[in-house]
Amino acid sequence: MKQIATIILNRNLPATTDALCEHILKFDGDCTDVFVVEAGSDPGRLSKYVSWYADWPDARENGLRYFRGMNYGLSKLYESKNFDKYSAFFLLTNDAEFAAGPIVSPLLEVLSQHPRVGLLSPCSSQWGEQLLLQKEKTKYFWYIHNIAYLLRREFIESIMNESADPILDFLFDGNNFRGYGAEQEIIAKAYANDFAAAITDTVRVQENERHLIEHAELIRTDPYEKNLELYVEEGIRWMRKKYGFNSRWTMQQYVKSFYDNFFYFYPEYIQYKI
Amino acid sequence: MIDQKIQALIKARKCTMLGVGPMSKNCIDAAIGAANDNQSTLMLIASRRQIDAESLGGGYVNNWCTQQFADYVSARDKRGHVLICRDHGGPWQNSSEFDHGLSARQAIRSAKESFKQDIHSGFDIIHIDTSVDPHGSPDPQVALDRLFELYEYCWNEARRAGREIAFEIGTEEQSGSTNTPEELDDLLFKVTEFCEKQKVPKPLFVVIQTGTKVLETQNVGSFDSPIRIPGDIPSEIQIPKMIEICNRHGILMKEHNGDYLSDHALQWHPRLGIHAANVAPEFGVTETRALIDILRKNQLTRFADEFLQIAFESGKWRKWMLPNSRATDIEKSIIAGHYVFSKESVKDIKMRASEVLAKKGINLEIYLQQAVTKAINRYMVAFRLMVAT
Repeated sequence: MKQIATIILNRNLPATTDALCEHILKFDGDCTDVFVVEAGSDPGRLSKYVSWYADWPDARENGLRYFRGMNYGLSKLYESKNFDKYSAFFLLTNDAEFAAGPIVSPLLEVLSQHPRVGLLSPCSSQWGEQLLLQKEKTKYFWYIHNIAYLLRREFIESIMNESADPILDFLFDGNNFRGYGAEQEIIAKAYANDFAAAITDTVRVQENERHLIEHAELIRTDPYEKNLELYVEEGIRWMRKKYGFNSRWTMQQYVKSFYDNFFYFYPEYIQYKI
Repeated sequence: MIDQKIQALIKARKCTMLGVGPMSKNCIDAAIGAANDNQSTLMLIASRRQIDAESLGGGYVNNWCTQQFADYVSARDKRGHVLICRDHGGPWQNSSEFDHGLSARQAIRSAKESFKQDIHSGFDIIHIDTSVDPHGSPDPQVALDRLFELYEYCWNEARRAGREIAFEIGTEEQSGSTNTPEELDDLLFKVTEFCEKQKVPKPLFVVIQTGTKVLETQNVGSFDSPIRIPGDIPSEIQIPKMIEICNRHGILMKEHNGDYLSDHALQWHPRLGIHAANVAPEFGVTETRALIDILRKNQLTRFADEFLQIAFESGKWRKWMLPNSRATDIEKSIIAGHYVFSKESVKDIKMRASEVLAKKGINLEIYLQQAVTKAINRYMVAFRLMVAT
């Protein structure tokens, strides 16, 4: 029985996706199953590991992006009654890159050492956070911006909406299409439900933005700069509509209040507080 | 007393204190005017390149030495709302110490002479920054030993002179000693220990990296950026963490390089608990742009071009350029403009332009001061130091 379900999001980059699948299967095949969500890819550009194909017109036109894509994959596992076979879910975009070697098993090991961690992210050599992870390799954060999250099943179960729209609402708020601010929301939900959100430096991930910059046309997404502009604009609009927040800083203070509260009730984890 | 006054002010008004770089005489006048008109305390923060002791060659701002600068400010600050501050005092902080290849002992002696003049001239806050060393980034213990030596020196000098001073420590430079929360905590712990042992007051401010960085005429740091800056700790993490540590040690945090931040980012400074922020080159650039603007609008393009040429040839824009910059020569000149305001050739251009403009009822210096005042007011409103009109 494999403990982890790895879900990889692809849009029209089968070679990149297949390479990532093969990397994980090679080094972690004994502890994870690998699933691929095709986010409206062209029929001829599907990964050979395709598991679920979002081929409806809107997905074909706009893709799913991380949060809708992961909602789709997770809800598919749930519908097929395979969800509770796994103890955690590793959610990746296909531009995630790792050094040769195991990724999933070291993350699983961290998860087992930190029973209250609900969301775990590998660090990146391009992140300043590594400066905070020199003594302790794993620490709990109130802000994590990444493309690779390992989520504990119990955490997902504590907040998932199994009867709601599977694409928009299963776990993440898919109404925030590009997702600016959505990472902070999921972290707030973790701490609000007695789970921590951690970054570990035991595994490193790199986001290869070259795919987005050089293959924007192939992925059928907006050019990099335009995408960035929309990412922020839509995210701020979403925060305002959902929370009445007009700033990322309000969101930050909102998340941090749950973070501080967590350590009040779980002082035994204070050493992992940044 | 200065410490208590500032702490009480921040607590009562829930504000962020503003440090204004004295980029020019007009900038100094604008800051004094803004502070007095709004009955709000401002800090004038002079680097050693801008203002230094006469014996050390003075500075580029109005060719003033420390005493002249302090006398000028004191005479015009009728209501006592301006704090005169040394920004980045310390060894090798005057570029001539670098150029003349001073040894550590010589550079520290020179720094002491500079501080002595500051204290005797009535400076209120002394920033000691020992992060610079021509032989590379100094070992943290060496930087700390130099800090303690200068701190003790300044305190003893102030007592001898019967002056009251407050201290600022730390640096925003990446090579400095406040890069991570752990390092900041360690620095503040050691400084507190030193102060208790030597019976000297704790620093009022410590400089913190909040994710601000000025290049060309933009703030390119993470504070105002919604996306990651490679190698930086996201400001969402960095700022609250650093403030928490400062509060625990009872030392106020000061941001440097607050120039060009958006109104939104500035308005969050008091809410985030940033106690003070320094802004400098933006005000110099504002004055330069206003100068070019008024000259061009009044068909004095020849004067504008002459000035831009002098600014460009100064090369003072070089250290501010972005990697792979696409800035034009005019943009480079604008960045360097305030460095050459006190050159005789520029004074001559301004004098000739003033005569022409006066005939049209325009007072050039007042016009330039108003432009800088407007720029200062943007910060004062956002920092809750004045009410928007």
